[in-house]
Amino acid sequence: MQSQKIEEHFITEKPFYLPQKNELAVALAAYGNGLPLLLKGPTGSGKTRFMQFLAWTVKRPLITVSCHDDLSTSDLVGRYLIRGGETFWLDGPMTLAVRYGAICYLDEVVEARKDTTVVIHPLADDRRQLAIEKRGELLTAPREFMLAVSYNPGYQSVLKDMKQSTRQRFVALELNYPPPELERDIIRHEAGIEEPLAHSLVRIAAMTRGLKDSGLQEGASTRLLVHAGLLIREGIPPREACHVTITEALTDDHELVGAIDEMISSVI
Amino acid sequence: MERVATAVSLQQVIPDHQLNEWEHEELIEQLAAYDEQLERAVLAQIAVIWPVSHALCFAFLEQLHNGLRCLETKELAEWVKGILHAYEADGLRAARLYMADVENNFLCPRRGESGLTFAEAQGRLVPYIRGISGRGLQLEVSAAAATDTSTIFLPRDVRFYRDHTGNFQVYKLLATYQWAFISQDLYCQNHAQSAAIHFPGGRQQSREGDSDDILVRFFSIFPHQQLAQDIYHLLQTLRVSLFMQQEYPGLMRDLGPFFALLLENRPDLQRLAGIDYQLEKIRQWLLGQLSGEKASALGGDPQLRNIVAAAWNGRADNGDIFMATRGFYDAFCHDKPAYEPLQPLFFQGEFRPREAHRARLARRESNRQKFIEALAAILPPQAAAEAAEAEKEPKQPVANVVENGANVTPAQHHATNQAEPDPQSAEEPRFICLDDAQLELPEELRELAREIEEDLGSLPSFYISSASQRAGGQSRSPLKGPQQEEGEGLQGGLLYDEWDFRRQGFRKNWCRLHRKQLHAVKGTFVSSTLEKYRGQIMQLKRQFEMMRTQHLFIGRQRDGEDVDLDALTEAYADIRAGLVPSDRLFVRLQRDQRDIAALFLVDMSSSTEGWVGTALKESLVLLSEALDSLGDRYAIYGFSGMRRTRSEIYHIKEFTEPYSDEIRGRIAAIAPVDYTRMGPPIRHFTGVLSKVEAKVRLLIILTDGKPEDYDDYKGEYAIEDTRHALIEAKNAGIHPFCITIDREAQDYMGHMFGEINYTFINDVRKLPLRVPEIYRLLTS
Ligand SMILES: Nc1ncnc2c1ncn2[C@@H]1O[C@H](COP(=O)(O)OP(=O)(O)O)[C@@H](O)[C@H]1O
Ligand SMILES: [Mg+2]
Repeated sequence: MQSQKIEEHFITEKPFYLPQKNELAVALAAYGNGLPLLLKGPTGSGKTRFMQFLAWTVKRPLITVSCHDDLSTSDLVGRYLIRGGETFWLDGPMTLAVRYGAICYLDEVVEARKDTTVVIHPLADDRRQLAIEKRGELLTAPREFMLAVSYNPGYQSVLKDMKQSTRQRFVALELNYPPPELERDIIRHEAGIEEPLAHSLVRIAAMTRGLKDSGLQEGASTRLLVHAGLLIREGIPPREACHVTITEALTDDHELVGAIDEMISSVI
Repeated sequence: MERVATAVSLQQVIPDHQLNEWEHEELIEQLAAYDEQLERAVLAQIAVIWPVSHALCFAFLEQLHNGLRCLETKELAEWVKGILHAYEADGLRAARLYMADVENNFLCPRRGESGLTFAEAQGRLVPYIRGISGRGLQLEVSAAAATDTSTIFLPRDVRFYRDHTGNFQVYKLLATYQWAFISQDLYCQNHAQSAAIHFPGGRQQSREGDSDDILVRFFSIFPHQQLAQDIYHLLQTLRVSLFMQQEYPGLMRDLGPFFALLLENRPDLQRLAGIDYQLEKIRQWLLGQLSGEKASALGGDPQLRNIVAAAWNGRADNGDIFMATRGFYDAFCHDKPAYEPLQPLFFQGEFRPREAHRARLARRESNRQKFIEALAAILPPQAAAEAAEAEKEPKQPVANVVENGANVTPAQHHATNQAEPDPQSAEEPRFICLDDAQLELPEELRELAREIEEDLGSLPSFYISSASQRAGGQSRSPLKGPQQEEGEGLQGGLLYDEWDFRRQGFRKNWCRLHRKQLHAVKGTFVSSTLEKYRGQIMQLKRQFEMMRTQHLFIGRQRDGEDVDLDALTEAYADIRAGLVPSDRLFVRLQRDQRDIAALFLVDMSSSTEGWVGTALKESLVLLSEALDSLGDRYAIYGFSGMRRTRSEIYHIKEFTEPYSDEIRGRIAAIAPVDYTRMGPPIRHFTGVLSKVEAKVRLLIILTDGKPEDYDDYKGEYAIEDTRHALIEAKNAGIHPFCITIDREAQDYMGHMFGEINYTFINDVRKLPLRVPEIYRLLTS
């Protein structure tokens, strides 16, 4: 375990972010009023990127935690460690964010166990407090601190659905797949490819996004399109690049793999 | 060979009295003409066919001469197998067709050049077409490619190439072209655009049914309607081909050689004259363009060049094609010409305006129902009450509507998040005015309203008033509820929706599911099963016990929930000793304990009678014994039923019940009942499992084949509903898995269950041991 330095979490360069709608205004208003933020949307739709952009805009560090079902409270809050025969306390990412007034972003928050997520409750309401039980310490978050969480309503099981008591504390912003022109500009910029290719990739993505009833849980995300673009720019033939970044990433089903490849080869 | 000897041999395969005299004579004559080896071979085949069908046997003898021209004697038996297969699948007519074309039906497949059938292509083609179109289009077999704008029809097979890949590309081209025809509005179904088209001489809007079918009016101005239709269809094909090149450049590039192949096989222009010549000229010019060779020129006729240019420019709309059709007709079809249509371009398919019109009306009706139903569901109660008032005084308008349509305010500009597959689509109406109040429409209703406006020009006001009446509950709904249809239907039970693939939507509350008890029987079934598999059960128990993991603390970790005292002591000792201590001083809770809930759903349809049923029950006994030693939570239910009003589930073991003699007795009581409607039980147990707290939730279905019920729950409909129910389960975070007992793997399985979600067992005797094994593999 390395002790984390808050300075490392500052975003120094302006991240590339093209807004979908009024998300920046809403997020800034929430930030100004100490309200926590919930980002809803499918994977790869720009949630993480938006948080980076927000953090850069308000000039605060961004601390991101990817949640999983083995994430313990100590992983968030901190723990004692022993080194060289001495015990010492190591702040977890959440504590770090509260102490230094950073933005703490819990990615895919429903993946975390319920007993873990309870620590965020007092932080997410107007108390804005974090209790560090092992040290008997109660931190109150400074104005600059913000809690943000993300979740994907698309494929969550019933069990992992966010509890009302949790979600009702947040200002909720939905970041869905961007509209076609915007998405085209995003991948043009991110992958450094020409407009016609970007346009084709966006069309392929749109085709994959309506196949839920055919057994495809989610369609191709903006992220996958960026990946496809990057490989094509490296000289991988376009259909092959799309096959490995889009088709195979989306499904193992033999028929669907075939169908998606056919969509690709119609368009490109 | 001598006739006498032949007669003797014949008698051994067909007893004399079964043939009349002249049949007998003829047969002897035919056989005697063959050499000895061939005669023996033919007689052997007669022996096979005769008991199956006498008519088939005569048909075979009739076609034999023909067949022997390209068959060798040793191939005869194989050919007859094919004939019988065709006969058993589709009857005498199909068998005749099979025999008629030995080359294509028998020899090609034997050489591995079988062409590609629709059945083989559709698994990939259906999601493909739904993906590119963004609509729930259906694919169906028909004599030629065509569309009615709801369904795309494709030929039964495609045999242009020797390999599947090439033939699949042709299928793909056909399907994509038909989609392009729909999206480019070949049948002029967009109200606003059609209203803008003017042409002189058309029959005035007259009869109700035709009033919005502009094509009927347009073609009625031509003396020779068939010719006008062919011209129109060809010019639309030009326009749509350009669209195809722009939208699907990859496909059109891949198919370049195919277009060249078609071009090679077109008739010789030199031999044609008149309109045939002009039309063929355009066809060949188009094929030249599409094959990428661009060599063919249109020639000097400026009229023809202008007409082609009017369709082939990337901006042409239906109005331009009307003009160009008119122009072509006037220029080249002076008097009523003698017109023998030539073969149209293969990928054009057939022009079917009447079917398209019917499909449009059907869609209109279903959209009306859906709209009223959906709007009624969201109308605020007071609006509904007012509507009820208004119904008593019919003079007063119910909703605040304008003359010829509802006062639907257009969408305010907002960036929609959904990627819209059809860039042409107009903006959807977002609000409806109802008594001065604006009601915002939810997403699906907006989409519906847009479709209705596209079709009718505006949203009819009575759609809205019907909806408010419905919501007010004053008038009997114009929609038939499922309950009203079959008055006899059992009451009670739980209602479940059913997926109708043809309309890509649910039939609401379509099925009634009833819960039933199975009464334990005493008997020897369980004890004899335990005895029969004693050795294997012991082994199973051992295997399953090994999968069991307790909460496990693992020590000497870099971090963890607690301090590892042993390690800590050691570390201090190390320090004392002047050594560098380890930093692995913690214990961590190993959290991969089994947290699994499995529900077994057993087919109790009458087809399981006999061996299959016994094997199913034995598997349940073995499984329960094994699971008992493992400690996973599990439940067992049976299902069967008849018709949508009586879907039944039989309770055998709940999650909370311990495995006991009572449960063993219930397993023994399992017996075949009725039919196999899989949708309702899957949906029911998806709901049950969703409420179970577990990390992994499994729904394991044991069945003996296709879903099928007494009513129209059969074939594709049943397969698609089952498939959809399984997808719903998956979307609810449940892992469905199907174990199917069948003689051989069936084509539909991969599609219905999803490639990785099923296994099929072709030997019933293996089932009892395979089921626990599959469970073990699934969960470890
Ligand atoms: N609005 C946007 N502006 C810029 N880039 C974007 C935008 N949306 C998506 N992206 C691109 O898509 C990628 C995936 O987005 P990301 O933020 O990681 O998705 P999420 O966190 O929602 O899973 C980003 O790395 C970026 O390249
Ligand atoms: Mg992310």
